[in-house]
Amino acid sequence: MALTGVEIFKLLPKTNCKKCGHPTCLAFAMKLAQRQASLDQCPDVSEEAKRILGEASAPPIRPVSFGSGDRTLKMGEEMVLFRHEKKFVNPAAFAVEIKDTESDDRINSVVEDVLSSEIERVGQKLRIDAILINNVSGEASRFEAVVKNVSEKAPNVPLIIATGNPEAAEATLKIVASRRPLLYGANKDNAEQMANIAKTYKVPLGVKADGLEALSSLTEKIKSLGVEDLVIDSGAMKAKDIIEHNTLIRRAALKKNFKPLGYPVINFCQREDKILEALIASLGVMKYSSIVVLSSVEKWKNLSLFTLRQNIYTDPQVPMQVEQKVYKIGEPRPESPLLITTNFSLTYFIVSGEIENSKVPSRLAVMDCEGLSVLTAWAAGKFTAAKIAQFIKESGIENEISHRELIIPGYVAILSGAIEEKLPGWKVTVGPKEANGIPAFLRQRMS
Amino acid sequence: MAFVAPKETFSGKVFEVTIGTDKAISFGGENVLPFHSFEGTVPHRPVIAYEIQDVPPEDWPETVRSVYEGVSSDPVSWARFCEDKLNAKAIALRLIGTHPDRENKGPEEAKKVVSDVLSAIKVPLIILGSNHVEKDSEVLVAVAEAAKDRNCIIGKAQEGNYKTITAAAMAHNHKLIAMSELDINLSKQLNILITQMGFPKERLITDPMCSALGYGIEYTYSVMERIRLAALTQNDAVMQPPLLGDVGTYVWKVKETQASETELPSWGSLKERSITWEAVTAAAMLVAGAELLIMRHPEAVVAVERFIDELMQ
Amino acid sequence: MLIIGEKLSIIAKRVREAMLKRDKAPIQEIAKEQWMAGAGMIDANIGPAEDGGEALMEWMVTTIQEVVPLPVCLDTTNYKAIEAGLKVHNNQWGRPLINSTSNDPERFPMLELAARYNCQIIGLTVGKGGLPADAEERAAIAAEIMARAMEYGVPLEDLYLDPLVLQIATSQDHAQKVIEAIKMFKEMNDPPMKTVVGLSNISNGCPKQLRPVINKYYFLMLLDAGLDAAIADPKEMAEAMEERPLFEKVLFGDNIGDPKKEMVMKKTIDIILGKTLYAHSYLEM
Repeated sequence: MALTGVEIFKLLPKTNCKKCGHPTCLAFAMKLAQRQASLDQCPDVSEEAKRILGEASAPPIRPVSFGSGDRTLKMGEEMVLFRHEKKFVNPAAFAVEIKDTESDDRINSVVEDVLSSEIERVGQKLRIDAILINNVSGEASRFEAVVKNVSEKAPNVPLIIATGNPEAAEATLKIVASRRPLLYGANKDNAEQMANIAKTYKVPLGVKADGLEALSSLTEKIKSLGVEDLVIDSGAMKAKDIIEHNTLIRRAALKKNFKPLGYPVINFCQREDKILEALIASLGVMKYSSIVVLSSVEKWKNLSLFTLRQNIYTDPQVPMQVEQKVYKIGEPRPESPLLITTNFSLTYFIVSGEIENSKVPSRLAVMDCEGLSVLTAWAAGKFTAAKIAQFIKESGIENEISHRELIIPGYVAILSGAIEEKLPGWKVTVGPKEANGIPAFLRQRMS
Repeated sequence: MAFVAPKETFSGKVFEVTIGTDKAISFGGENVLPFHSFEGTVPHRPVIAYEIQDVPPEDWPETVRSVYEGVSSDPVSWARFCEDKLNAKAIALRLIGTHPDRENKGPEEAKKVVSDVLSAIKVPLIILGSNHVEKDSEVLVAVAEAAKDRNCIIGKAQEGNYKTITAAAMAHNHKLIAMSELDINLSKQLNILITQMGFPKERLITDPMCSALGYGIEYTYSVMERIRLAALTQNDAVMQPPLLGDVGTYVWKVKETQASETELPSWGSLKERSITWEAVTAAAMLVAGAELLIMRHPEAVVAVERFIDELMQ
Repeated sequence: MLIIGEKLSIIAKRVREAMLKRDKAPIQEIAKEQWMAGAGMIDANIGPAEDGGEALMEWMVTTIQEVVPLPVCLDTTNYKAIEAGLKVHNNQWGRPLINSTSNDPERFPMLELAARYNCQIIGLTVGKGGLPADAEERAAIAAEIMARAMEYGVPLEDLYLDPLVLQIATSQDHAQKVIEAIKMFKEMNDPPMKTVVGLSNISNGCPKQLRPVINKYYFLMLLDAGLDAAIADPKEMAEAMEERPLFEKVLFGDNIGDPKKEMVMKKTIDIILGKTLYAHSYLEM
């Protein structure tokens, strides 16, 4: 059972030496309880405390990573079944499969697509995260050549070396072990050899079995061989099995603290029909995959998948924010109305939607208030007259419009006088309190 | 350590709703989370209805508008096309032309469109207003009567107009959509108010308001998941009606379904992109708990049906 | 239990107008009412008060203390306004309370004021951007604020930890998380840390007739968890204390011989503990 912060605190030296980077032992203990700090940050902790805390602080789903440098992919550490409970921690990685039976041309073009897959969305850089090289040929020499080629062409992309053949595994790891690829392909027949290779080359190991029972025994066996950084595959291929297995794995780990399944999950989502593939991959993103394997890299497919992953992995406690700027809705002219609101994304979506519904082309100034809604932002001192005035001045909007009228949300009617004082020459009009009043409000002004 | 599957069973269950007459169809009825047939009963597939409207779809983006070229100038031929050519299992007729800012058609005109469409199809009909609170009140009351004996779904009843619309649905034996705006507590409240009027909760469909991928879908997703959890784990009867995902109308107005590839090369082909946008939005709604979807593009519908195939069997 | 009277808030129209016109009568009347109803301190919430905050807070403190022998809780994000209030505060009636500091660097200077003027301060357990997800996160932020208080020279017994009560109508799960947080805060020091809540926010957004019901029973549940102070309506809190014996019985599943009242209490407890989903009509279900 996990210990509370106070229970952990009692085991710490209580010297408040700050060597761990936290201001007090209590603050450090609280971070440990939340698994946002690690015990080895404390140089003075006793052996006994280490033993007790080590067991208690092991997360139910083991953190495992592969790749290196700033492209390292972190997996595991999830704490909940539903995203509204608490943020999903490590977003599923998208890996594209390259088969070593494919032609070099096709392989090179897929690598090219992966390298150019990066897009930016709501301030995040999103891309195909990894390449899985599959030893479909069964031959060690062809596999080695393909791995070598891909690793040279994509020097920073994390790799998944997929082979059940220990010779092929070893041959390729000799080339790429320093990049910390994931070695995928341990099964009941090759477990010892694969575990030894993973140990020798210090790489995480992907383990596959048929069903959850067999998978549990296999991970226990491999763990006893000294390899603990595992990624698991229950053999689920169909959507029905993916949702069943992934749900049972997550529940067993979180609710029963069942260690043999407390690892990140890899799912193979390749389909002939690429739109269907996007849907199966979406299922993986929503239902607990840590690695989603795709068959191809189309820009249109990437865009949906990247966006879904970003949406699902949003912290429900941190309101999603939109960029601070003046948005154009419809095709506003210099004399079109100017409204202002905060940058809480839901506020923005609803307000901009209602302005659209009004069919009155307008400008909507969206101000950075750390994603708070209008009233909350006002109460927190983030949506105040001075800040609004400063934003309007700095936005450069005065050069774009022919009038000087700002429509503010009805909830902050109280600010109208103060804004006028701070924005000389401007008139402030109080708009409706609720967004659904906007269409009538805007249209009435037009008539 | 031996593995014991941590299966969960619940006391609550989603109501089973049947709509239509000739080619009636049922959805809901499960006593587990979406597609968890490994630990309970999922008696029906989710149903996808094709969206049509009472006026030509000039406001729909080219990718989806072109599919219905030649039939969409008339709601009857459009409905027939969906039933005969696309094998629609249900049709959702949106009376968008009644909106005061659109063609502002009156209740009588709406009634005629509904009657005409109903006499042309055998599959169940979902009749939607224009989402104008006052106008829907008039229009939906009129069409509920025109559609009597056909066991339709009418909607959407909202906080501001539920009384008249509920009374009409009750009088003419229809199912009713109750919509609130992304707020689970207000959704429950609206369902309570409607049932307090004597409308049976077993005939309700909850619409927590859809949002498109990239435009707040996570809010709808979580509200749906929480509604399902309340229905199952707390056995909360007013939260047990099936859930609606009104997908198409939200998806086909976002930039991702409209911007050309020339404009945004990094987004890839517009056609595949926009169809996938609708399909992924729909898939997310299904996984969160929706039993009824309203969609526009046939290729997106086909992909989602295949997705459901894989999830059910 | 310290009740800090909440009624002098800029959110209330009558108070806002009196503040703007510098009309003492309504302010003093409300202050007196709260004192008579059992308040041990009076909250003066002047909002962000960007302009003229100093003069306004000064006026509020003196206006209140002219008629009631109580300390004032200085409630604004405006640092200078707090300082102006502290300067005129009559400490003969007790030490003032600053509302508030938090884990947002913008609010750290409040601790410096608390140290300099030897007064008490509320530490709201929120950071920059985003609300705490659960009791553990609140406790972790509390530990940070405690460390910072010590750094600034504010004794921990002068720090009131506030777990931030959220609206039950929109954030139902936090009602119970706040109760857990109060328990955790108490354990985080010896002697136990002091705790405070802005109570009425729990029923913000609920129908008017429900608000006192939820406020009172939530208060009693927080009291059981060890709460030391509440910014609240003193009249409601006095009623709550009268109902406490009955409420405790219902909490333990006993019959109180008043089925109607018992039902109201039971349903409200279930809402607070998240056993049933909140809806405005929950009492009718």
